Amino acid sequence: MKKTFLINDLFWIGLAVSVCAGSIKLGLGSWQQPHAGFMPFLSALILGTLALIDLLRGLINQWKDERLDLEIWGNINWPKLWLTIAILFIYVILFSTLGFILGTILLLLFLFRLMEPRPFGQVIFAALITTGLFYLVFKIGLESQLPRGVLGF
Amino acid sequence: MDIFHHLFLGFEVAWQPINLFYCFFGVLIGTLVGVLPGLGPVAAMSLLLPATFHTSPVASIIMLAGIYYGAQYGGSTTSILVNIPGEASSVMTCLDGYQMARKGRAGPALGISAFGSFIAGTLGIFGLILVAPPLVDFALKFGPPEYFSLMVLGLTVLTFLTSASMIRALMMAAFGLVIGTVGLDNISGLARFSFNIPELLDGVGLVPLVMGLFGISEVLLNIELKIKREIFTTKVKGLLPTWSDWAKSIWSILRGTVIGFFLGTLPGGGAVIASFVSYAIEKKVSPYPEKFGQGMIEGVAAPESANNSAAQAAFIPLLTLGIPSNVVMAMLLGALIIHGVTPGPLLLSQHPDLFWGVVASMYIGNAMLLALNLPLIGIWVKLLKVPYSILFPIIILFCLIGSYSINNSSIDVVIMLIFGLIGYFMRKLSLEPAPLVLAFVLGPMLETALRLSLIKSKGSFAIFFASPISATCLIIALILLIIPILPWLRRRRPGTVLEQENVT
Repeated sequence: MKKTFLINDLFWIGLAVSVCAGSIKLGLGSWQQPHAGFMPFLSALILGTLALIDLLRGLINQWKDERLDLEIWGNINWPKLWLTIAILFIYVILFSTLGFILGTILLLLFLFRLMEPRPFGQVIFAALITTGLFYLVFKIGLESQLPRGVLGF
Repeated sequence: MDIFHHLFLGFEVAWQPINLFYCFFGVLIGTLVGVLPGLGPVAAMSLLLPATFHTSPVASIIMLAGIYYGAQYGGSTTSILVNIPGEASSVMTCLDGYQMARKGRAGPALGISAFGSFIAGTLGIFGLILVAPPLVDFALKFGPPEYFSLMVLGLTVLTFLTSASMIRALMMAAFGLVIGTVGLDNISGLARFSFNIPELLDGVGLVPLVMGLFGISEVLLNIELKIKREIFTTKVKGLLPTWSDWAKSIWSILRGTVIGFFLGTLPGGGAVIASFVSYAIEKKVSPYPEKFGQGMIEGVAAPESANNSAAQAAFIPLLTLGIPSNVVMAMLLGALIIHGVTPGPLLLSQHPDLFWGVVASMYIGNAMLLALNLPLIGIWVKLLKVPYSILFPIIILFCLIGSYSINNSSIDVVIMLIFGLIGYFMRKLSLEPAPLVLAFVLGPMLETALRLSLIKSKGSFAIFFASPISATCLIIALILLIIPILPWLRRRRPGTVLEQENVT
């Protein structure tokens, strides 16, 4: 099956239609006096038209030049992938509350352990060293305004 | 004489200790990201862009430029020793470089790659010095219609050259234009697609977008792969090529330099296409084409020279016209704008220190790279042994902190993560991120040029065909759009040829 490419084209067509609708609300203006919605409408129109051509081309030749769905999605470690993404979003949400140091140590503990199972001692050491180096470079060296959080520094 | 006077000014700027430091740091990071597969110059430049906010625009651009051309040097190391191209522009170097290494000639392969890069980089800078000033005079005649047409041509060439389907590359360019419209409208001041999020009023940030598309997506993509790296553990010796190696390579280096320079100046061109074309030409002119891919030193010298020459030449459209010819130049354009410098024809007269300082720093940077890449090759080889399980969390952290520290905003980080996911799915579906980024950067300029042209002409599209420059650009763009529709021409499209070369 090659549903992936069908869904892909439908997604872009849907996005293009939504942007066109939003652009009309903004006001397209006229050729003589184009308004704020003119450019997004034009870009979305091109996007939608191209996606429609791609879809029709795929439907006609049954996506014979494309890879199978299984080839694209078959070898993915989904739990690991979604866990990584979830951890990153949780980090962003808790970043201000936990602060840079605590948040980053926890993030790295998860990531180092998730990428490859290693002894906890090594993981903790790597997380502490990396966080320390980042703190030195960004907070002290580049004076970035990283959140202090619960630790207060 | 004027050129020498300006060049002297450039060296005066580039020799300042702070600029020398940033130049060294840039080429060092460039070599590092070139050596490490998975992290390219675009991601590295976006990671380090926030770090340049505290410096002068000159130092910032010197460093960012150093990352770009430094990565071209470093990319060859992994191609030769590991058979994994550190950069897309080093793909062709794998073919003969790795075979040379297998035959015990890793040293001369690395040596000719570094010397070839140095010669090509140096000649590329001279080309830049000679071509840029006259082009600036020419560019001063450009109005909104000319700019619009040139940007359309740049986007079309980039999508034409891409190895993926041209329709999908154009789709990504259109998507990039859509993203570029987020935020306040330049002309009316109306908020567009900002969903009442104050951070989006300024538009989507270039850094979160690029970090997501290139950095985070790369890590997510590699989580599922198990790349086995075979690194030559034997000591790499004999880095200086023999006279026979030089005799075989010198014309390849010069041909690669010329090809790279011309392809680098084209809108949409760049180091990748230059290395592919120069390899193909080298194979064509060689009396032994059948031996290519078996360890021919010409097969290393030509693409490595071409990609470095192209890297220098790519600065010409950016510094003279203010139009980036590829994604890396789009990043530099973003950096210039962040620093309050408007790239374009007036850059040379308003900021001669920046223009000539960057040019002179490239020459110094090339010399630094030669010193970095040959004697320190052992260190770069050791770096290749850093496991991905350590490397990837660090890349992720760089992306997170880098995008946060631009505005101290978590929204930027969320945007980066969203683009990381988009980039991941795009790569899974072979949708190219490069046209998206270029269109995103060019979008606001393109919109302004289009709307001003239409207002000026009272809605008539004839204005785009009234001037020869604009008409020529649009006609070329149209031809490039038609080519993929014609079956016998489609097979000759560089993207298709590149794909075939990749497979073989």
